[in-house]
Amino acid sequence: MADTAVAPATGHDAHDDHGAHHSSTGLSNNKLAMWMFLGSECLLFGGLISTYMLYRGRHSENLGPDQVWDIPFTSASSFVLLMSSLTMVLAVSSAHRKDDRNTKVWLMVTALLGALFVAGQVYEFTTFYREGLGFTTSLFSSSFYTLTGFHGVHVTVGIIMLTSLVGMIGKNRVPGDKAETVELFGLYWHFVDVVWILIFTLVYLIPA
Amino acid sequence: MNGHTNHDRTIWVGSHDAHTLDAVSAVNPRRRRRIPGIAAAVGAAIALSACATDAPQDTWQPAGENAQKIHDLQWPVFLTAGIVGVLVFGLLAVTVLRFRDKGQSMPEQTHGKPVIEYLFIAIPAVILAAIAIPTVGVVMALADTDDTECVINVTGQQWWWEYDYEVEDDGTICGFAPTAAEAAPIVTSGQLVIPADTKVLLRGTSRDVIHSYWIPRLNGKRDMVPGRVHYLRLSSETPGIYAGQCTEFCGLSHANMRMETIVLEPDHFQQWLDNELEPYTSPEEGTLAAAGESTFITQCSRCHQVNGLVDDRGTDDPDDDTLVVSYPDQFVYSGAAPNLTNLMGRNTFAGATFDLLTDECRADVWEADPEVFGERYLAGVTEDCLNEIELREWLRNSPAKKPMYADAEMLTETDGKTRGMPYLALSEDQIDELIAYLLERK
Amino acid sequence: MAIIERPTDTPAVVSPDAAPAVATPATSYGVFRRPVETTGWKSWLFTIDHKKLGIMYGVVAMAFFVIGGIEALLIRLQLAGPDGTVLSADAYNQMFTMHATTMVFLFVMPMAAAFANYMVPLQIGARDVAFPRINAFGFWTFLFGGLFLNTSWILGGAADGGWFMYAPNSSVAFSPTNGVDFWALGLQITGIASLTGAINLIVTVINMRAPGMSLMKVPIFTWMIMVVQFLLLFAIPVITVALFLLMFQRSFDATFFSVEAGADPLLWQHLFWIFGHPEVYIIVLPAFGIVSEVLPVFSKKPLFGYPLVVFSGAAIGFVGWGVWAHHMFASGLGPISVAVFSVATMAIAIPTGVKIINWVMTMWGGKLKFTVPMLYAVGVIVQFTIGGLSGVTHSVAPSDTQQTDTYYIVAHFHYVIFGGAVLGLFSGLYYWWPKMFGKMLNERMGRWNFWLTIIGMNLTFGPMHVLGLQGQPRRMYVWTENRAGDGFFNIGFWNLIASIGAFVLALGVLLFFVNIYVSHRKGTQKAPLDPWDARSLEWITTSPPKEHNFDRTPTVGHLDEFFHRKYEDRGEGDHHDYHQVATAEEIIAEEEAKGDSHIHLPSPSYWPILLSLALPIMAYGVIYNIWLIVGGAALALLSMYGWGMEPHTAPDDDYDPPAAGTELEVAAHG
Repeated sequence: MADTAVAPATGHDAHDDHGAHHSSTGLSNNKLAMWMFLGSECLLFGGLISTYMLYRGRHSENLGPDQVWDIPFTSASSFVLLMSSLTMVLAVSSAHRKDDRNTKVWLMVTALLGALFVAGQVYEFTTFYREGLGFTTSLFSSSFYTLTGFHGVHVTVGIIMLTSLVGMIGKNRVPGDKAETVELFGLYWHFVDVVWILIFTLVYLIPA
Repeated sequence: MNGHTNHDRTIWVGSHDAHTLDAVSAVNPRRRRRIPGIAAAVGAAIALSACATDAPQDTWQPAGENAQKIHDLQWPVFLTAGIVGVLVFGLLAVTVLRFRDKGQSMPEQTHGKPVIEYLFIAIPAVILAAIAIPTVGVVMALADTDDTECVINVTGQQWWWEYDYEVEDDGTICGFAPTAAEAAPIVTSGQLVIPADTKVLLRGTSRDVIHSYWIPRLNGKRDMVPGRVHYLRLSSETPGIYAGQCTEFCGLSHANMRMETIVLEPDHFQQWLDNELEPYTSPEEGTLAAAGESTFITQCSRCHQVNGLVDDRGTDDPDDDTLVVSYPDQFVYSGAAPNLTNLMGRNTFAGATFDLLTDECRADVWEADPEVFGERYLAGVTEDCLNEIELREWLRNSPAKKPMYADAEMLTETDGKTRGMPYLALSEDQIDELIAYLLERK
Repeated sequence: MAIIERPTDTPAVVSPDAAPAVATPATSYGVFRRPVETTGWKSWLFTIDHKKLGIMYGVVAMAFFVIGGIEALLIRLQLAGPDGTVLSADAYNQMFTMHATTMVFLFVMPMAAAFANYMVPLQIGARDVAFPRINAFGFWTFLFGGLFLNTSWILGGAADGGWFMYAPNSSVAFSPTNGVDFWALGLQITGIASLTGAINLIVTVINMRAPGMSLMKVPIFTWMIMVVQFLLLFAIPVITVALFLLMFQRSFDATFFSVEAGADPLLWQHLFWIFGHPEVYIIVLPAFGIVSEVLPVFSKKPLFGYPLVVFSGAAIGFVGWGVWAHHMFASGLGPISVAVFSVATMAIAIPTGVKIINWVMTMWGGKLKFTVPMLYAVGVIVQFTIGGLSGVTHSVAPSDTQQTDTYYIVAHFHYVIFGGAVLGLFSGLYYWWPKMFGKMLNERMGRWNFWLTIIGMNLTFGPMHVLGLQGQPRRMYVWTENRAGDGFFNIGFWNLIASIGAFVLALGVLLFFVNIYVSHRKGTQKAPLDPWDARSLEWITTSPPKEHNFDRTPTVGHLDEFFHRKYEDRGEGDHHDYHQVATAEEIIAEEEAKGDSHIHLPSPSYWPILLSLALPIMAYGVIYNIWLIVGGAALALLSMYGWGMEPHTAPDDDYDPPAAGTELEVAAHG
């Protein structure tokens, strides 16, 4: 998604003159921009979730949510993603302590957990596909793959951002306030997690 | 407002016409003294818009119960809006004239007076509340369909309407029992025929894209959406022909998707119904029309149904005929084509785009007084009245007459199915035969 | 990063050409030298200066205005007489689709963005927007998106489904050319531009106001722009979802709008109008902001009820979300929904009415000077009021079922969009032209421009009220004499008048371009620093402003700061007696004298334009060849990497020392 592609850029483009110290509100430009961006993302997922909720019942008899869901598996991968939020918190707190080593470690762990989640999603999609649930099979499948696919892309972008950040911390090339940059990435990551909790509840747990 | 509809249009509309042309040509910024002329023209426009006479789709000439309800609601709103407009412009004009820079000293740098501000919030709020309450009432009243007396199915497709009259459980159609024949479903297109003084409910949907059914003088419009069923109430006490047009953009020939609703006195409706159910009669042997029947079977009957048409060519055994049943779903993307059983009983064709009547005969029917309308309509299209030129052009090359697909190369996207009628490469002889045949379909 | 190093002992000079400034290349990062040219084409291509970007937004928007205008003229030529043959049905459908799309997305929105970009930082006393490179990215993305959209004309035909592109008519079966693909992808791209712009401007306004400028001292134009950016922020993602669904439907065989698969075509309508109705306010609020700036200046009075105008702007922004279904009164929503949306729509008329009354009350008791910008502003009041009142008539849902999708609606929204937004934008052009280019536009020619535009627009759109009430639907490529009626309401007569009006209107707009030429001929006078006796912050600097906008960041004590620096009230009690205590020249000279010595401005960059360029490449890929997507994505990744690695704080020794006597022309505008 192109608009997420812009997100990392927001993290880099601060005027140092107008950073946290001089802004009218005291909030840094970068953080404010990230909040705005996430606000916008809410509507994006709102639209996708609405589409799914409208269409989730529209499928052939033997290929609906009840037939294909593997709740224990998805619960496990959801748990993995939730844990990554925890490790993200640890990364942010390390960054605030200016502990580069631990920041890198926790960011890496977060990225790995994220990657595990994406791998789980890929596995899940393949299984569904083998069971006959292709992207164009039914309205249910199209809207399901679109919604979770968009979320998966967000996680993937997050993973790329996290690994780049680890690299940049390693080479000491993080522009501006390092702790704040980590925090910004954290905001994005938590948002993606929260969206997943919503998706998991609405898509998987509440029966169609 | 409604009371003005019977004015003799030719006398006073004509005189206003000249007046307005004059006023419009006078819109010239250098000659300010003509402004009263413009004001007069605007005044005339407002006055006239309330009682115009001769526009078939005029939204200000209700002739049906629901259109009347809408009209009773809308004209006070227009009036209020007009008054508010005049007041605002008056205030603005006074301001502009009074406070233009005449060398007065710098005005007080005030940011406003709360009293005035609250007043100007309160006034529009009160006006709008006064509009909102009856609006909600009318919305509810228009949605009320409990007292429906007759249900007719309406289906839109690119670019014509199909009407389907079902047989009720009691063996009637729309409350009317057929006199001679046994009741059977009636399928027509283009012109919807309904009995006067009957609360008709249209049950509508679409076979392809969204269309909108709109007969301005009978009711507001309602979108007919594929996959959904929407309802629209029509009723009128006055026999006549009420023109309408599809108002939801539906692709290439959207401009050509028209329809009419025909309101007939009950006994005239009975007559129409009986005629629709009359058994099929083949043209006399050896006539041009008989040749037309066979051309119709080879060229047209794949898509167009003529009820009761049998194919007995090539056999002498009178029992060995096959009922000709069309299968348009193989050729047309929407899967339907107009039923031509009683084509000449209607007076428009090809989605009510073109007239089957010559201009003179058309005027006789369309502008007939309510008392004589029914008879004239039921007379159908006679040979003298047939608008042969356009029917011929249509049969010669229909996509040229009414655009139906922009590029024949692009039909692969629809498995080669056309939208609307394709070019059939008919010979002039075949066209002669078909016209003769079709002329008997009524 | 470049540094503009100002020796503190430089004597105050007002002329922009003489502004002592040294822009220096920073070459320490990356393979590429940064494009630090301050003149020539590179200074435009790689600029991240909000003023240059604002001008480019304006130029491109005007070019699209001409294109959209030509499309409109073709439409009116076709409808001038019965059974028009100027355009085929197919070409006509493409024409009205692209006319609306071009005017809304490629003219009015970017023209507002032009003013927002140029004026918002100046109005709040900032030296640039919060994220200058993203700003550049936004402009190029808009430009490439617009060009991409219009290449469909030569690549098999443009979109033909109407700007609202209702499903399922937008599906491949009903629209087999690539036009709709170009439309969906093109709008996706311009949407990215709007979204980044929105985030950028919101942060700018919230965070970068000059000291002392509390939110209730923010100039009204900036306020309206901020409301618009919030609307964009939340509306763009909704249309993004809709466009993605459409793209998946058309390019990847999904069935989101295929009825045979069980889809509900109304999904598209809801998504489209949840975006589409806020879009109406996105279009019109910037112009409201301009009018609210212009009227006080030429009335010599502050804006009447400023807080109320701010709040009503914000209220429109909120309630604007709750009225989308009034575009769907005929869609079959059910009476309860219809009633609720009908009443909500009436409610939104209240804050709109507040604005009109506040404008009139601003003029009341003032000292009115009818310059061209003022004429346009008064034009907005009149024309928009007509559009607003016709809007009230179809907030009445039953009445709307008679009017919707007829020319009455076409008349209504042209009075709103042309009479509200476009006239407002023209007011802004005349008002801020001397600020942006240092030259006044010719007033006499401006009057001709104004009156022809007003007469033309009323001749064009006025008759459409009649046409609509006579039952002429929208989007029809022909009308027939047979059903035209006769007498006063003969639709042929009114169609002809509308077509004639369109050409008068075109002539009026043409005069604007002639005016630019006439006003910039050799030998025309430079504009005075404060030609209008203006009131807000953007005038406390040179015209055009220096690259760094303000020599010293102004400190703000009043809403109309500039006015209060110029005038003093010597009256007592209720008696007011204003005396001019300073001229603009004196005030600016003082700012200059006390100018900051170190002004950091970010350097131009290659990456924004490159990243933007990747988007249309990927979009062509979606339509033609998947490898183009890969190529575009590679370019995007490269650009993002370059962008990310580009420093925003270079170490001090990265700058050349300020070379005494090396004076570069900082501002190359005009």
